[in-house]
Amino acid sequence: MQFSRNWLKDFIDLNISTEDICSQLTMAGVEVDGYDSFNSKITGKDSVLKLDITPNRGDCFSVYGVARELAVINNLKLKQPAFKPIKSSFKEDLRIKACEEAPIYVGRSIRNINLKTKTLPLIAERLTLSDQKLIDPVVDITNYILLELGQPLHAFDRDKLEGNINVRKARKDENLSLLDDQEINLSPDCLVISDEKKSIALAGIMGGKNTCVTSNTKSIFLESAFFKPSVIRGRARRFGFQTDASIRFERGVDYKIQELAVKKASEILSETVGGELGEIQESKLTKELPKAKKVSLDLDKANKILGTKITSLKAKKYLKGLGMNPKGSSRKLDITSPSWRYDIEIEADLIEELARLEGYDSLPTISLEPKLKIQSESKEKVISASLVSLGFSEVINYSFISEDDEMVFGESEKMVEVENPISQNMRYMRSSLFPGLINTFIHNLNNGLESQKLFEIGSVFSHKKSKKPSERTIVSGLIYGNVAPNHWLDKPRKVNFYDAKGAVEKIVSNFDVASSFEPISSDFFHPGISSSIFDGSKEIGHLGALSPNILGKIGIKEDVFLFSVDIEILKTRSSQKFTKFSKFPSIQRDLSFVVGKDITSNKLSILIKEKGGKDLNSLDLFDVYEGKGIEDSKKSIAISLTWQSSEGTLLDSDIDKVVKEIVNSVKKELDGDLRN
Amino acid sequence: MDLKSLKQIISTLKSESYALIDSSNDKDSLEKTYKSYLGKSGEVNLLLKSLGSLPQEKRKEAGMLLNQLKSDIDNSYRDKTSILSKAENELRLANQKIDISLPSVSKEDGSIHPVTQTINEISDFFESIGFGIESGPETETDYYNFEALNVPEDHPAKDMHDTFYLKDSGLLRTHTSPVQIRTMEKKDPPHRIICPGKVFRKDSDLTHTPMFHQIEGLVVEEGASFAQLKGLLNDFLEDFFGREVELRFRPSYFPFTEPSAEADIKWDKSWLEVLGCGMVHPNVLEMVGVDTKKYSGFAFGLGVERMAMLKYDIPDLRLFFENDYRFLKQF
Repeated sequence: MQFSRNWLKDFIDLNISTEDICSQLTMAGVEVDGYDSFNSKITGKDSVLKLDITPNRGDCFSVYGVARELAVINNLKLKQPAFKPIKSSFKEDLRIKACEEAPIYVGRSIRNINLKTKTLPLIAERLTLSDQKLIDPVVDITNYILLELGQPLHAFDRDKLEGNINVRKARKDENLSLLDDQEINLSPDCLVISDEKKSIALAGIMGGKNTCVTSNTKSIFLESAFFKPSVIRGRARRFGFQTDASIRFERGVDYKIQELAVKKASEILSETVGGELGEIQESKLTKELPKAKKVSLDLDKANKILGTKITSLKAKKYLKGLGMNPKGSSRKLDITSPSWRYDIEIEADLIEELARLEGYDSLPTISLEPKLKIQSESKEKVISASLVSLGFSEVINYSFISEDDEMVFGESEKMVEVENPISQNMRYMRSSLFPGLINTFIHNLNNGLESQKLFEIGSVFSHKKSKKPSERTIVSGLIYGNVAPNHWLDKPRKVNFYDAKGAVEKIVSNFDVASSFEPISSDFFHPGISSSIFDGSKEIGHLGALSPNILGKIGIKEDVFLFSVDIEILKTRSSQKFTKFSKFPSIQRDLSFVVGKDITSNKLSILIKEKGGKDLNSLDLFDVYEGKGIEDSKKSIAISLTWQSSEGTLLDSDIDKVVKEIVNSVKKELDGDLRN
Repeated sequence: MDLKSLKQIISTLKSESYALIDSSNDKDSLEKTYKSYLGKSGEVNLLLKSLGSLPQEKRKEAGMLLNQLKSDIDNSYRDKTSILSKAENELRLANQKIDISLPSVSKEDGSIHPVTQTINEISDFFESIGFGIESGPETETDYYNFEALNVPEDHPAKDMHDTFYLKDSGLLRTHTSPVQIRTMEKKDPPHRIICPGKVFRKDSDLTHTPMFHQIEGLVVEEGASFAQLKGLLNDFLEDFFGREVELRFRPSYFPFTEPSAEADIKWDKSWLEVLGCGMVHPNVLEMVGVDTKKYSGFAFGLGVERMAMLKYDIPDLRLFFENDYRFLKQF
């Protein structure tokens, strides 16, 4: 809300600078975003104050409300809204019937008005300063009262009303054309104003097109009502808009000012458009009005929570100023919430009132005593540190992705869709971190980064059997280009599957995982260059070269390697214990086998370990060769083996026997042979 | 030959050999000189062989003299060898000079995203004074995101959060406060926790992204006071920015705290909002079964990107999610 500073003068005599007004309001919880000063032709030096009002302070959604706040802060007298009472000149034949959601409904007809007249200059200026469009004198004056008193008014074209007014719940499938030409379909939890033939307004939100004031309007019926917040809340939003009226009604307007608002409007209308005033009609269901809340304040408790020493005298002064009529003994005060405050319900609310009038800044400050808490480092931190040491950079992508991306990496029946996405590109919750990594990679490639190592740790989403989406935290990475930047000492090497595998092994090495790699088939990986990662029999991730089909689609020519590991599944390692190492000399043998191409190195290693005996303590694969000198269907694998015993010095002759055994087994079981 | 002339010869050989050894410029000529005196058919050996021509009683003395000569020449040879070796070594090392300005060999580390770094820095402070780190799901129910936090259905406070809803059920959390509820449901007070994580709001412009990171903190203890809240946040901000900060608290509104406050810091001469906080609303505590007669609590929440922007002078929020390497590498 914004309004002219000089408007406040109608209610308080405040002789402080605009800067001070703003700071006082802000520090009392009515935030002023800023102000613009200017010279008014009508009122002289003035400023427009721009307020940002929190949802609990509906009472400050008016110039009068803000003046009331300033009066309390500055200990000034608040002038009541003044008006000249004008006698009515005819009897009203229109009756009002209202339901419990509209405990107060006040109305008045004004006949024979002249809409050719102009809105009074001061009112026009104030409305313009409040960013209100000038429409016609009648609408302008209803807007003016809304801004000044916080009471929304509505003017119907009296001649278009057919019979009595009925405030009721909407019927099922009832339609209403609103002032702004939108047609809405009502449901029975909406409140409408209707005459005997039709609904004419969405109560407290917007009037209907059928009865709106036009340039031909001769008579009007002015409505000033109190609608319960509960019947307004959420309704406008449901239709995708809100109005100055709905904002105020849903927060709660002062239920004691409806008649005052009509009278004040009548006065200004008479002055502007003339006409004859009808009798004021009123429907009042006192029982249905909000109950003034009785709240007790234990001053000792308040002082304890705030760390203050506010005296009972001071507390009483504050609460009295707020219109809460404090009563009671020195340590315990009982108050009654005023008709304009809907946010005073419990003791904590009163503690806040004391605190804000005392000034938050002047409340004491003490440090929180430290406590000891033993905490282990999170898995995410451990994994990040490992990957960073391998040269990976962390990225953070949106959890939303496009349908296209989700279709490539997700499973359509498990996709989690956002009901109200911000754009089509962000319609799904990612079920994989790969699309984000690939998009980031392409962005950076386009910006000239030819080699990349990226990773992300985040949640992925999918629908399991239940409707509630399930979430898992995973780490994924992408490798592309050369292993290291070009260097004068090193030959550049393109990254490959084994770099991705190394990253995965580095990640799991921090945890209690016995990892193994098995081939997988997946639509988004190259069928021959991809693998699952298992911990025992549990699959914990996968890695591979991005499928050439996808590479083609995104226009990338070189291989992109991706990996992903489920973090939640990884078991934290128990603390490290020392193991004894041998003092005896070791024996090393290098063996080079020729085996069929389909024999995996893992198969060979397992066999060698099995036959190598308990003293075989390291096995290093140092060469793989296919080509000249080797049969087409075969490859050679060279392995360096080291034996060492913790009990004594091993003899060459013993190892010779073991080697022979290994060679024989490889011959027998893998159809392999030593390379000559 | 008599002893006298032998002595004469020895003296001549000595001075001759010394001069020759001394003038040798390399090991080859030194070796040659050495051999010409001390080799098998070197002069000293020849002399030794000719000792037989001396009278018996003189032979012993002559032998001693010749051995002395032998060892003198030998010593001189050794000294010269070491001088030559040293010179040779120096020359060789001098020729081995490398260009020390060539680029080094080292593996470059990757980098941690500035948002994560900021979360880590903030967490470190709170962990050091006894806060635990808790996390929770990003997809939430209306109950945990709103109802349990004292935000009833259709309340205008919901307008403060433009919520993303999911098709089948649930929503994306608009703050990490649901983690407080989940923690208080699981454990009894006292509590000291912070909850970092992603949050989602339907908002996208220069200063808003539909996803960002938040850290919420919660303290529920006997005697937890607003004064402690002020003190804690002041200590935290000074730790985070590494200097004294000018901080002000002003009243605000959050459905889950009462009194509620907003904390502003002085930044380039104007006030900048950095934190929302307050005493935990009794309704919130009661809903999770905390005895409000015994315990009180306070909570606070801050936007991680905003803190990182301030600390690192990052001009545009969207940089965080573009993941441009020229941005990431700086951190």
